[in-house]
Amino acid sequence: MPATVADLIDRALAGFDALAAKAEPIADEWQYMTDLDTVWRARLRAVAAARGDEPAPPGADDAIAVLVEEAARVTDGHRAIDWLSTLPQVALAALGEAA
Amino acid sequence: MRFTDARPDGRSVVYAHIQADPLGTRAGDLLAAATTTQRLLARAVMNGESLEPQTWQTMFPTLFGPSAPVPGDPVRDRSEAILAASLQVADRGEQTRSQFRGAIVEALTERLLAERTGPVHRERRILFDGRPAEIHPYDATVEADGAGEAWDCKWGARGIKADVLHQLDDARRGAADEGGRLLVGLVVFDARRSCEVRLVRERGPVPLEGLKLIALEGLDRLAGRKPA
Repeated sequence: MPATVADLIDRALAGFDALAAKAEPIADEWQYMTDLDTVWRARLRAVAAARGDEPAPPGADDAIAVLVEEAARVTDGHRAIDWLSTLPQVALAALGEAA
Repeated sequence: MRFTDARPDGRSVVYAHIQADPLGTRAGDLLAAATTTQRLLARAVMNGESLEPQTWQTMFPTLFGPSAPVPGDPVRDRSEAILAASLQVADRGEQTRSQFRGAIVEALTERLLAERTGPVHRERRILFDGRPAEIHPYDATVEADGAGEAWDCKWGARGIKADVLHQLDDARRGAADEGGRLLVGLVVFDARRSCEVRLVRERGPVPLEGLKLIALEGLDRLAGRKPA
């Protein structure tokens, strides 16, 4: 059964959560990480609410899979913070959405 | 209000080599004519771990997938060239990569500004009568009579810090005190959503009304055009 937009957003959010855990030791940026979590989670959930039942666009399933794999390769906390902003943007682009 | 060259120091000497590197120049040229998704590709790759092109081609189906422009199409060729240049940057050591990314945003800003106005300069200080000069130069300035601009360039939203905002605001107020006008702003190679949350936290006493924020999605505004 083909993945839906909601399925892919769930996968992207799982990758986002894993990044947040890696970034957590950077205490100085805790507020920024919390703010990123709030705004990007809301943006992704808004897309799921609007288009969740739609079949994912061509290539988006594989795109989100490699995106989450790439995020999983990040081990440095500072780079994880950068990816907390990058991952949602790339996920949205794969789904044909603006950031 | 006067624009002057920054005084050379150790950092500027090292950084000048990065700025002069043909890879940074090439990346700036490619990104100046890029779409928002192509710019996002560059951001992801230069932030990333993987050096395998296939990973990134899969991650960006609208640029490289079956429905994307075919090889030989100028848009597709630009996507391929941006990917190749970005992988070259990512392949440098962490410190060099970080310097390259900053230099690329500056080069991109310079090119986009020059499409709209001029003359455009890099690494310049702004002096005001009766005010101590700021230590750090501005990344890009437009030095037109009566229509000056000062821009600070950041690779990511994390680069938005209180001292940067304060310096930009101080320059804007300095110009106003002399009866002039100076447009000041930040160019950030990151999503506007991330920039805005950072800006609100870091603003301190700086009023944001007089500060332009140009984020990744709106870079073409620097050139006076609509986003591609």
